[in-house]
Amino acid sequence: MGFNLDFALSTIPTIMEALGTTLLATVLSCLGASALGFTLEMIRRGGGAPGLAVRFLIDFIRSTPVLAWLYFLYFVMPFYGIRLGAMTVGILGLSLYYSGYLAEVFKAGIDAIPKGQQEAARALSLNRRDTVVFVIAPQMLRNVAAPLGNYLVSILKATPYLAILAVPEMLGRAFDIASETYRYAEPLTVAGILFLGLALIVAYGVKRVEQRLLAAGRR
Amino acid sequence: MSTFNIWLGILQGLGTTAQVTAYGLVFAVPFALVFGVAQFLTTGMTRFLVTAIIEFWRSSAVVVLLFVFYYVLPVMGITLSALTVSALVLGLNTGGYASQAVRAGLQSLPAGQREAGMALGLSRLAILLLIELPQALIAMGPTFINNLIQLVKATSLVSLVTLTDMTFRAKEIAQTNYDPVAIYSALLLAFFVVCYPIALAGRWLEARIQS
Repeated sequence: MGFNLDFALSTIPTIMEALGTTLLATVLSCLGASALGFTLEMIRRGGGAPGLAVRFLIDFIRSTPVLAWLYFLYFVMPFYGIRLGAMTVGILGLSLYYSGYLAEVFKAGIDAIPKGQQEAARALSLNRRDTVVFVIAPQMLRNVAAPLGNYLVSILKATPYLAILAVPEMLGRAFDIASETYRYAEPLTVAGILFLGLALIVAYGVKRVEQRLLAAGRR
Repeated sequence: MSTFNIWLGILQGLGTTAQVTAYGLVFAVPFALVFGVAQFLTTGMTRFLVTAIIEFWRSSAVVVLLFVFYYVLPVMGITLSALTVSALVLGLNTGGYASQAVRAGLQSLPAGQREAGMALGLSRLAILLLIELPQALIAMGPTFINNLIQLVKATSLVSLVTLTDMTFRAKEIAQTNYDPVAIYSALLLAFFVVCYPIALAGRWLEARIQS
């Protein structure tokens, strides 16, 4: 049978049509994971029973595969009568999985802020919410920008997992072509090259932003 | 089917999960050592080629990569078992990540270490093997443990290329029993039981290195 280059090239436009879905899933999952990860870290910092529970939850998430989480959400939510689209379930799954990692990123970002900042906030009698919003968060954002960018690339590379839930992102589209034509090698190779190119471009962009932040920090 | 039986059923896949992890390490460890050291030592065009190979394995989405190799190799006339293809792809992906730890570990050593070796008249290879690598590998131990956990978790993918690992067993059981809560909780718990002790060992190692 062999590898048909012309056929491979002909699949590029169809697979590229799903680029928007891939990027949307990446951005929404990254936002979801950041929001959830930050919340988890705040609860963990609060201590007490909720802090301990969240500490365990973060360890649990980090010790389990994203695929298992996707299956869990995809099959368990309908059991309780929650019916969501595959794309929503996929974004929820990636958000949940990566929140465990981003909580650690936020932890490191907050730990790197000098203790005097918290003490100064207390001396000014700022309440807890104001301390987080006006003192901790702005300084933390610069600390977490670089690792957050790296996780953006990781999340992009995890979006093809959504094809397993039949989300029509780029890998899913490649499988659609494969099952229509009975030729798997060509569309999958094209999807592989497109994902690699996309990951390299995003990684390059993240590196540029990181360098600019470093330069701005030195000023 | 009772929760206990679901557990037992999923654990039947533990052997395959362990097998893919072990075979994956056969690819990952040599790749990480050879390419991490090569990226550290080489310059110019050679370094560019070494980096390109590392980036291919590291920057590709592992899900896509597994399917590409699973379907493309036979077309190229190379027939490998699903187990070998999975170990190759997951192993080299993990090896790509670990190679960066090897390189970073070597780069972070003070230049005085190499210079002391040269002053003693050791060859470059002896300096690498006797002075630089031992220190770099110990310092990067916790990172390698994280890479190992990522590899174990990534083995859940082999369920998509017909291997009967824990994830595959969970889906098989789910086909005959409508009990998704028990089945998929058991699957998550099974991975937790495997990976969490490794994570704890990593933390212990990290604490020991820092003290």
